[in-house]
Amino acid sequence: MALPVQAHEMVPTYPRLEQSHLDNILKTTMKMFNKRADVEYYEIGVFDKDFNPVPFVSAYNVFKLEYLGHVTFDIYIRASDRNRAVYVCSKSKLRKDSDTKTAISSKICSKFKDD
Amino acid sequence: MFKKSALLIGMMFVPFATSAAEVPITGTVESRCIIQTDAAGTFGNPNAYTLTTTAADGGDPAVVRYDITLADAYYAEITPPTQFSSAPNLPDVVTFTGDVSVKTVSDASGMGTYETDKLEVGDTDRYDLTATGSTWFAIESTATMGGSKAFAGGTYTAVAEAVCIAK
Repeated sequence: MALPVQAHEMVPTYPRLEQSHLDNILKTTMKMFNKRADVEYYEIGVFDKDFNPVPFVSAYNVFKLEYLGHVTFDIYIRASDRNRAVYVCSKSKLRKDSDTKTAISSKICSKFKDD
Repeated sequence: MFKKSALLIGMMFVPFATSAAEVPITGTVESRCIIQTDAAGTFGNPNAYTLTTTAADGGDPAVVRYDITLADAYYAEITPPTQFSSAPNLPDVVTFTGDVSVKTVSDASGMGTYETDKLEVGDTDRYDLTATGSTWFAIESTATMGGSKAFAGGTYTAVAEAVCIAK
């Protein structure tokens, strides 16, 4: 019996932070693909090595991504946070009214590449 | 006569030349970790005060699959549910227990030690994904109502978390 495949993926695995068009602000670009029919929203975050949040700016912290949709988004952090920022993660947001009795929250964390 | 034949032959070749136009399809393969939710899981209700994903009690464990295209680059961290995300009113404290185990692997020689080598930190099991390929993990969960009180009728949802972290 074939089971429906529900997948969450984000690339690159090792993004590189580069100088943005603003002074002292670094930027990287991530891509996501939503193959989870049960998920419409994803939350992104930047974290240090212990998964404490690091300040960042993006167009949306939580964004809608339709089933089979792709999205490319930019992440901006302060240059002074370069050494603190270790991971950029995307996490699926599940609806409270989901009718499944257990559900799976998926989270993928890429690691900033050292220069 | 010769001109007409040459024209006819030339016209015969025109469609072939057109249909031979190339349409390139390009793609880039990037190293990645993909989390697939193969089964969300369901709770069985073997008695009034227990909800469990154990198959013998009428439940189904949740199953997640990790697809890895770069060896020795990721950890899988999986946490069974520790609370309900939605539920009817609970008459007492609910205790959750859970277990994560490797169900199937695509490369028995490269992934055969995943289960024995896993690291348990609190409720979370961490697996070092050292080989490329697919690994299926089964997530079991049992919720027990305190004081052997009954779960009220309604829908109970609990969320397991599957994380893939680049090393």
